[in-house]
Amino acid sequence: MNHRFLKRLLPLACAAALLATGCGQHEPVQAGNAAAADAAVEAKKQENVLKGKIVGKSNKAKTISIEVGKGDKAKTQMVKFNDATQGIEHAAKGEAAIIEFTGEGKDRMATVIKPKLAKLPAGTSEMKPAELIAAINSGRKMVLVDCRPSPRYHEGSIPGAINIPVPAMAEKAPMLLPKDKDIQLVFFCGGPT
Amino acid sequence: MSTKNAGSAVKMGYTDVKVMLAGVPGWKKAGQYVEASEEFVKKGNIVLVDLRSPREYEAGHIPRAHNIQLEDLDFAEDEFPANRAAPIVVYGNGNDAVEAYRIIKSWGCKKGSVSSIDFAAWKQAGNPIETGPTPDEIVWKRILGKFEVALDEFKKAAEGGGDKIILDVRTSEEIGDGKLAAARHIPLDDLQGQLHTLPKDKEILVHCTTGARAEMASAELRNAGFKSRYLVANVECDGSDCEIYE
Repeated sequence: MNHRFLKRLLPLACAAALLATGCGQHEPVQAGNAAAADAAVEAKKQENVLKGKIVGKSNKAKTISIEVGKGDKAKTQMVKFNDATQGIEHAAKGEAAIIEFTGEGKDRMATVIKPKLAKLPAGTSEMKPAELIAAINSGRKMVLVDCRPSPRYHEGSIPGAINIPVPAMAEKAPMLLPKDKDIQLVFFCGGPT
Repeated sequence: MSTKNAGSAVKMGYTDVKVMLAGVPGWKKAGQYVEASEEFVKKGNIVLVDLRSPREYEAGHIPRAHNIQLEDLDFAEDEFPANRAAPIVVYGNGNDAVEAYRIIKSWGCKKGSVSSIDFAAWKQAGNPIETGPTPDEIVWKRILGKFEVALDEFKKAAEGGGDKIILDVRTSEEIGDGKLAAARHIPLDDLQGQLHTLPKDKEILVHCTTGARAEMASAELRNAGFKSRYLVANVECDGSDCEIYE
């Protein structure tokens, strides 16, 4: 068996694994009647938008495939693009993107493609891997929290991290997070999708 | 979804909450290693490598471990499973495991990890141990996922004549080099539009080039009420002559 061939293929399989465990962004849930009306307007506005992970782009067929929805609900959709499509560089395989389009069905044409940036909740800020490495090396006290499903955590996580999968947060956080609320907490998961 | 937990932590009153959006992939990309849990070392379907000296290894090691010293590891690539999705966990003395992790990663292994288990502490804690020389061969068999079809079963179905549908979800460009004679071809991103052409009373076995897209397509099919499993294997076609291997 040809190892070099396998080496080239494996990143594909890995990308798929990431899809299953990535950090999905939950849209804020709106409550109340006034908010519901706003949500309806918002939904209408978003009709011609696809948000998700770029699965592939064919320059020959001039199409972009994007996976919309998470986990079992995920559906792969296709839109065309042309020279007038803005931000085509953001249609890179594996990247999270927002595609605005016109037309319907098979004739959906991408107009604008934007990178989908993760929204940080109020009161939190981003930490880059290099900052985390520096913080660990400085010996600062902190708690690292891996938010992926536990099988992913068990097979390999950042040394010293604890595991609180998202669905278990309410139940496990009081037991596992430090009593001292001023200790730095660093949350992470399977990547920025 | 680390952002969701981070938001919850702020609501619980934590004052210094960070999110590392790059996640574990970003951590690895920054040149850092990941660590396997003790539970994974005990129960996981892994290739476990003990990097210590043969003398130490033979006196006692973690069950299932193979003995390959760090200086020999560079030359041992071919002894490991060809399937680079096999999780390889390494443990040893000092910094050896971290060094070994780098070597394994350089082979293209995507699921390498370091175990920080110290054998003396492991033994003292009353954990099971094995003694004696290292096994001759590394044997690792992938455990099928819930909706995966086994390679042999897929190959049999691909010969045709059975009542299963083989569905190839690669792109039309990829099909250019060939496809399985018995396979129907619907590119993944066209699947939703072609569902009405597929039967609900027959099982649909989906393949692509590696299994990534097949898994997605199979999930879409099941959600739409079809019976489906998918193949995780490499499929390379030259005309209708296809090589299918793990």
